[in-house]
Amino acid sequence: MYIDPTTGSLVLQLVAAGVLSAMAMVSRVRDSVKSFFKMLVPRRGGRWTGKS
Amino acid sequence: MDWQVVEGSFRDPSGFVYTRDGILYRQINRSFREPFEAVLASGLYEELARDGLLVTHEKVGLDLSATEEAHAVIRPERVDFISYPYEWCFGQLQDAATLTLDIQQRAIAKGFTLRDSSAYNIQFHGGRPVLIDTLSLEPWEEGRAWAAYKQFCEQFLLPLTLMSQRDVRCGTLLRNYLDGIPLDLGSRLLPRRSWGSPRSLIHLHLHAWAQGRYADTAVTSAAKGRSMSRKALLTLVESLKAAVRGLSWRAAGTEWADYTEDNNYTVAAAQAKRDMVVDHIRKAGASTVWDLGANTGEYSRAAHEVAPLVISFDLDPAAVERNYRRVRRDDESGILPLIQDLTNPSPSQGWAGRERLSLAERGPADAVLALALIHHLAIGHNLPLERVAAYLSRLGRVLVIEFVPKTDGQVHRLLLSRPDIFPSYTKEGFERAFARHFRIDAIDPVVDSERWLYRMTAIPQSEG
Repeated sequence: MYIDPTTGSLVLQLVAAGVLSAMAMVSRVRDSVKSFFKMLVPRRGGRWTGKS
Repeated sequence: MDWQVVEGSFRDPSGFVYTRDGILYRQINRSFREPFEAVLASGLYEELARDGLLVTHEKVGLDLSATEEAHAVIRPERVDFISYPYEWCFGQLQDAATLTLDIQQRAIAKGFTLRDSSAYNIQFHGGRPVLIDTLSLEPWEEGRAWAAYKQFCEQFLLPLTLMSQRDVRCGTLLRNYLDGIPLDLGSRLLPRRSWGSPRSLIHLHLHAWAQGRYADTAVTSAAKGRSMSRKALLTLVESLKAAVRGLSWRAAGTEWADYTEDNNYTVAAAQAKRDMVVDHIRKAGASTVWDLGANTGEYSRAAHEVAPLVISFDLDPAAVERNYRRVRRDDESGILPLIQDLTNPSPSQGWAGRERLSLAERGPADAVLALALIHHLAIGHNLPLERVAAYLSRLGRVLVIEFVPKTDGQVHRLLLSRPDIFPSYTKEGFERAFARHFRIDAIDPVVDSERWLYRMTAIPQSEG
């Protein structure tokens, strides 16, 4: 069914999509950095599993 | 004219739903021929129906069309009971929202989009939500923003956020605002902390602001030539999905949600009552049962042992939420929990008061269950027994009702806070009032209690 999307909603979408994409990219970079450092630093209190 | 249009489908110029000889059909008008055929050819309809996201349909001949504008006619699978968003609990609205976004994601992946995202396009069928509007999908034009974004926010995201962060009773606003809660109103009602959530800030608060800011501006000048890529559109939908998923509501602590664990039945009495209910529903030969005041649905499940479909009504959102979660957890396809305040039941409303049907118009059910309910209506809400009987006789052909006397602990509790101005609230008074609208078929005492269970048959109004 046709509905009126309204100008405000269309403009907001265009802006929001950009902001959300940027937020997602920042989050991805943050996760990559975190996992990189996790790889470098051994976990404290980690148990010996018997595997080499 | 041997066909009848289904109220609620007349706004869409691309087609409408109608019944002919009691069978439900949807006509697709010539004006919507290309989008309809494109979606059909893409395999999207087939995929959504196969995965249970869209109601199934079968293409039938044009000889069954309603008007000359018909391009095609389909026969959709009939939904057992039509319910409305203002009758859904938090979890139901959340699942309906998630389904809408799932469909939009799948549609975008195939180059299509939902052209509207009305909550009324979703129905609960077989225990889960399903899209019933086959004409909601159309090809997506590269660069185009989602036309139904605002509608989604007003009909799903905003009510859910209000229910989760302000008060679950905000869901009842949907009964007044059939097109969704206005963003500016919702933005004012939301608590201050909602401004701290990036998703609420963007989709609700800034969205509300943008409505006012660009109210008198043409789309072309406001957008300044910018367009929306497929990736951006998917990011937007994913963000809405995360916003919906991130909302929660704890269904506990209300008087009725805890009633099943906090009533004065002994185990023997509860089991005996359960057996009696099953026996009465079996004797009524009911296929559809409406359980009024169902609480978390214990007796709905008893009735479902012999009746394929039980609509489980209660006024308490927490009780309905618990009932619905159990339906989803146990994959129960024959029980539909809904919120319904019997002292102010869903009215017929919308355009000309005909778009959304009242509770009574969606009946009558084969049988109505009214257990531990009469005292709340008669004593708790001052409703004369005769009026209760008259209304219940419109809702179902057979009534299985429990009479709870004044000597019962639950009635005693009700009378602690008000004077006893109910001299006719006796077993005899109850039978006298109900005999004007029903034929009493059976009366049985409930084991280990002073309560009585009745099975009655409604007297057709012309005879009554």
